[in-house]
Amino acid sequence: MASNVPLLDNDDTLGFGEEDEPRGKLKHPFVTLFHLLFRVASLVVYELCGWFSNSFISSFIIIVILLSMDFWTVKNISGRIMVGLRWWNYIDEEGQSHWVFEAKKGRVSAMEVRIFWLSLFVFPLIWSVLLLVAVFTWNFKWAMVVLIAVTLSGSNLYGYIRCKLGKSESITSSFKSMATGLVQKQMFSNMTSMFTRAPPTTGPSTTI
Amino acid sequence: MADVDNTNIEIPDFVDPGGYGEVSGQMAVPGTVGKSEAEEYNTLDEPVRKTFMRDLNAVGTKFFHVLYPKEKKTLLKEWDLWGPLILCTFIAMMVQGSQDVPKVIPEDPEILKHDGGPEFAQVFVIVWLGAAVVTLNTKLLGGTISFFQSVCVLGYCLLPPCFSLVFCRLILLAEPNRFLFAIRFIATCIGFVWATFAAMVFLGDSQPSSRKALAVYPIFFFYFVISWLIISHTNV
Repeated sequence: MASNVPLLDNDDTLGFGEEDEPRGKLKHPFVTLFHLLFRVASLVVYELCGWFSNSFISSFIIIVILLSMDFWTVKNISGRIMVGLRWWNYIDEEGQSHWVFEAKKGRVSAMEVRIFWLSLFVFPLIWSVLLLVAVFTWNFKWAMVVLIAVTLSGSNLYGYIRCKLGKSESITSSFKSMATGLVQKQMFSNMTSMFTRAPPTTGPSTTI
Repeated sequence: MADVDNTNIEIPDFVDPGGYGEVSGQMAVPGTVGKSEAEEYNTLDEPVRKTFMRDLNAVGTKFFHVLYPKEKKTLLKEWDLWGPLILCTFIAMMVQGSQDVPKVIPEDPEILKHDGGPEFAQVFVIVWLGAAVVTLNTKLLGGTISFFQSVCVLGYCLLPPCFSLVFCRLILLAEPNRFLFAIRFIATCIGFVWATFAAMVFLGDSQPSSRKALAVYPIFFFYFVISWLIISHTNV
């Protein structure tokens, strides 16, 4: 049977005195700002660097620095503060590598969760499109920059998806278990509706 | 009749459910290997500055351990790729060519595009692709090291060639002559040998001993190519 991972969004318990907080308020505005700042900045610099400088190298350095800061911020700060998820790797005593994905149960602001996941999905998508554009216009220098961007933003996306899906299962097995869960649910409801359908009346009911 | 009030029943504090064996263990959090459990749980809520300083210290200690390769655990157990990124960018910046390629743009034919020649991109491609290939070779030979650990070690061991690059750059400020070239050559050789030796110290244990030579050769070649780039960079 598919294991059901508790989703953070279902935790609706309000703290004492928090009933009056308007929905959509950001609990950690600075963290949200930085989460978005570096991603947007690296994209903007990539698009506009031609206007400001002729030097490929300095643009490259600036973009890579922004991408690295974004990677570090999303992985170490905004993930655990905005959505309570965390992932990392450690090597144990025998030299085996373990990837750890953690999810914390607790109150998270719905608006922050939405912003987090939206930006996590959108930016690797944009960078992938830019990669295709760069490759097909034979701009291999810039394609290298975009490749770095895709790698860094994509790995954060992958890590957090695995956190969300649950304890270190692989993504394919999680999807499989979700799919089979859905199919089983559908089959079950079909069967129960067959058995609970009212038997057809054979004739007008007679009342005496 | 049994005297209920006076019976002495021993209830164990911990009832072993049985069948699970040894279930205690310690989960290592990055940067806290060896620290107590109470400290580990705080990393989820720690302030940003603490996270940042912890990572900064981790990078600094690794640089130190590359220079004096005695203790292996830090580089292998708690790998990170910041050091390789910093070193690679630094080498690429220093080794860039100075050719300004005039590019004809319809609006302004005089614009020169400074792209530093192919050397800049070359360094990036060589370092990252080279590290990946060397790692793949190690794993295929039966090594017990993970991909990221190996890339981490190879990247951090670029520090000695970095030093020789800085040294060569200083030497290039003077008028070039044979003697100074010999000095640069020796400095580059020292950096190369140091890097290969440090990499072997860290990666040596993960190799089965019969195949050590096969595993050393790509590492040797990798640092050879980097050192070649360093020694052949002559324009200031």
